[in-house]
Amino acid sequence: MTTSTENTGISDITETVRAIVAEVLAVSAAELALDTDLRGVEGADSIKVLRMIARIEREFDVELEDEDVFGVSTIAEVADVVRKALP
Amino acid sequence: MTTLEHPTNQHYDLDPRVFGLFLDESRKYSSGWYRTPEASLELAQRQKMNLVADLVHAQAGHRVLDIGSGWGALVLHLAGVRGCHVTGISPAARQREFVEERARLRGLGDRVRIVTSPFEEADDLPTGLDAVTALGSVVHMPDLPAVFAKARGLLRRDGRMYVSESCFRNQSIRARFDDVDGTDFVREAIFGNGELRPLSELVAAAEDTGFSIETTVDLTKHYHRTIEQWIENVRANRAALERIRPGIAAQLEHYLDISNAGWGYTTKHYALVLRNAR
Repeated sequence: MTTSTENTGISDITETVRAIVAEVLAVSAAELALDTDLRGVEGADSIKVLRMIARIEREFDVELEDEDVFGVSTIAEVADVVRKALP
Repeated sequence: MTTLEHPTNQHYDLDPRVFGLFLDESRKYSSGWYRTPEASLELAQRQKMNLVADLVHAQAGHRVLDIGSGWGALVLHLAGVRGCHVTGISPAARQREFVEERARLRGLGDRVRIVTSPFEEADDLPTGLDAVTALGSVVHMPDLPAVFAKARGLLRRDGRMYVSESCFRNQSIRARFDDVDGTDFVREAIFGNGELRPLSELVAAAEDTGFSIETTVDLTKHYHRTIEQWIENVRANRAALERIRPGIAAQLEHYLDISNAGWGYTTKHYALVLRNAR
């Protein structure tokens, strides 16, 4: 069913995003809730957020719009814009 | 440090050995040109200097001014490979000694002259020039229209100016990022008075000065690769860098890392070829 495929898709995307965020910020993935404000995590700065976005774009082979790159603040939002950018 | 005359450029007046430990042998401190992705840093820098020489149509006997000549890579290339008579200008006194020594060793002493001064203040520069080059140097000059007007005044009719610069990707990115920490670090701690502008501002200033715009080249990916190779060199030479100046390796890597993270998102690196002609 379409709905369940989409759900599986977003959950895979979310887990990949979470893993990349954890690696770039050098924190455990378990500490990162879907609604954690990425710019508020200790050790995060605008450069690290850009680096995360770059890794995520490479991983999914997408280019996000500026308003998404600079506007998203949680893992759930990042996963959502990635899903929308995928073909 | 010999920074008393022009304290805003302290980064460039660091011990020259620091730059010898992360730049290529020519000590060219600007983007290379990678005709193939696997090119070495040295080759990419030679390819870039040939590209610049071609874009300004440099020929034997031509008279050229290089604004922000640094450790003289392009000055020595234009003089040695293309047979040009080249004046380089830079505010950093240590760079003049370095370049003049290299010119002597290569038998180019009569074709190379280095002026130690900010470009805006220099009043004894040659005129009627065939070409002016400015690789990553106008970022340090707050009054861009004045810089272009002065450069154009030094060129003969139909002479060319090559300008390459790191730019904010557009006006809205500039408004958003002009104040954030990474930009401040790069601008204040390293560049002194760096002023990143969007390409549109460079184009507007060039047009308003009376230049025709002949070519634009997007160098962003080339600069990203260049900086990756500089970072590899900083890491490989960390111990030697620390012996010269404790803390410098980490500071360089931080700066280079920030620069590379922003390419394509916040910043671009463009070259413009301007022609003193209708």
